[in-house]
Amino acid sequence: MSTIRVRSAASYWLAVPAAIWMLGVVVVPILLLGWVSLWGGRSFSPASPLTFDNYTKFFANKTYLQLVLTTVTHTVGLMAVTGVIGYAIAYFMTMKVRHSAWRLVLFLAFVVPFWTSALIRGIAWVPFLGVNGVINQALMFTGATHSPIEAFLYSRFGISMAQASLYTMMAAGPVIYMLNSIAPQLREAAMTLKAPPLVVFWRIVLPLTLPGVVIGQVLVFLNVMADFATVATVGGNKHAMLPNLVLLFYEGSQHRAASVVAVLLMACMLIGVVAAMKVVDIRRLGAER
Amino acid sequence: MDTLAHTATGSPAAMPAMAPPQLDLELRGIRKRYGDFTAVDGVSLKIRKGQFVCLLGPSGCGKTTTLRCVAGLEEPDDGGILIGGREVTKDPPWERDIAMMFQDFALFPHMSVAKNVGFGLEMLKKPKAQIAERVQQVLKSFEIASLADRKPGSLSGGQRQRVALARAMITEPRILLLDEPIGALDYSLRETVMLELKLLQQRTGISFIWVTHDQNEAFSLGDLVVVMNHARIEQQGAPEDILQRPATAFVASFVQGNNVFRGRVVQAADGLLRVETAAGSFLVPGSAQAIGSEVSFSVRAENITDLTGEHHLNQLTARCTTVEYFGSVRRHIFERPDGELLKYDQFGAYAARIAAGQVAVLGWRPQDTVLHTGAAG
Repeated sequence: MSTIRVRSAASYWLAVPAAIWMLGVVVVPILLLGWVSLWGGRSFSPASPLTFDNYTKFFANKTYLQLVLTTVTHTVGLMAVTGVIGYAIAYFMTMKVRHSAWRLVLFLAFVVPFWTSALIRGIAWVPFLGVNGVINQALMFTGATHSPIEAFLYSRFGISMAQASLYTMMAAGPVIYMLNSIAPQLREAAMTLKAPPLVVFWRIVLPLTLPGVVIGQVLVFLNVMADFATVATVGGNKHAMLPNLVLLFYEGSQHRAASVVAVLLMACMLIGVVAAMKVVDIRRLGAER
Repeated sequence: MDTLAHTATGSPAAMPAMAPPQLDLELRGIRKRYGDFTAVDGVSLKIRKGQFVCLLGPSGCGKTTTLRCVAGLEEPDDGGILIGGREVTKDPPWERDIAMMFQDFALFPHMSVAKNVGFGLEMLKKPKAQIAERVQQVLKSFEIASLADRKPGSLSGGQRQRVALARAMITEPRILLLDEPIGALDYSLRETVMLELKLLQQRTGISFIWVTHDQNEAFSLGDLVVVMNHARIEQQGAPEDILQRPATAFVASFVQGNNVFRGRVVQAADGLLRVETAAGSFLVPGSAQAIGSEVSFSVRAENITDLTGEHHLNQLTARCTTVEYFGSVRRHIFERPDGELLKYDQFGAYAARIAAGQVAVLGWRPQDTVLHTGAAG
């Protein structure tokens, strides 16, 4: 078997196809976006003078600023929900389900829904949350409420429920991986050193799974920040986040405004990822064992 | 390490009057089953204060499960465990007066050496300043003070072993449980570490329960050696007892240097039995066995000679297949008439008398054979 040594010429050549692809579909379009967002004047052409006017206009609008704030707080809230639920699922599946067959069944139950697209899964929530939806009918059947609750569909609450179901496994997956890599002896050693279970979790398990938590949070953060489809389908026309604004401007042929929002959205994401890297250096994952 | 010495005369903590206080550990017929597999089958054991006990046996014999039951990491299905006279069978590990050293040391990878060592004291909710001071002392006494701020990942095997030991000893437990504690070390380090651990145990007076499959470890360290096989105790006693008077055929064959024979008693007279085996007919001391009963006996390799005299009433003729020379011992491997191997050790730096391929008459005295009297448990 022949192998390719790290840092040999061959290993660099292997990166070329992917690099060209990334350059063409990611790097160049982003640079173009940034460029277009600076175009001034009246005509939409590369000859436009460069200016920050588009940004000034955006920041002068209180509604837009409110939207940025809403998007960020919504995302942070969802990170908290998926983080807690995801960790609980991960802990349950790795620590409490002892039988490997059960573990497989549960794992498939969590993963199989991901075989359909996020859009379909988002839309699938509509018949659940609607006025005559499954949840309302169940509530009325059990007598928990007399009239259907309208707040489920076309509301922030409905969007959050749908997104939590879409993204919880993204938060759980990396934690499952990290939990599996903790040697059982570490927890046992802590117990023989007089640590009761909660302390074992707080001092041993949680710190060792922190990189997984952070990676999961980054995944959820990026996906929720960019998710316009669920917001549009479950939120109806009543609710919007930053990516919906991009779509709105784009559909209105306001390409400069669309570029501005897109650039700001990317900036928010970049800040989030950098902040996450400050907490845990995910590039050095597992180097401590 | 003398900072730990005062535990030898540790305060006589309040103990129930019913149990004899000199016992650090008592196992009363503990049993542990996993599905169809019985890991521990009625193990009873009494360990006096300050004893160095070695649980010896092949892998899967139940020695580690027994140790984990003592630690509280497994709960026995049946039987009782008393630590210092107090019933702890159902108590979780964090409520037991023990510490444990794991085979791969199980150091917390995200904590510094000092944090690892201080963990037990932190759990006992000692004041921070007191913990820091004590950790410094212990690190110094284990000669790892210079490693205090390092993470376990950057330590050598020997350093990790010291950190794990310091971490376990700092809480001054009544019993230290050691699961193959030097199995992960380089071979060259093992002897030094064994001696250090033995000296530490003697100085502190803490009872050690040392699980190993290595009989050299067990016999050179243990005050009490407990040989286990198939989830049961085959024999327990001082190393000399087990080496010189194996109680069962398993112990005799597990312990190095024994030649084991199985056969049927055909004659009994004057405290001697004549046993008919596939390798010949031999005289063995014994009187309690009925004629016709199946027995096994063993003779140690160093009690066999090729210079047979009239007192060597047991004799057999065999062909030498190999000679191994260890400096102080020359071990000859013969093929017995029944196809088994016969080991014969010649001590001292004498010239070789028998070469491979040679046929020789070997003999031994009846009083050098040991009749296996069954489980001495």
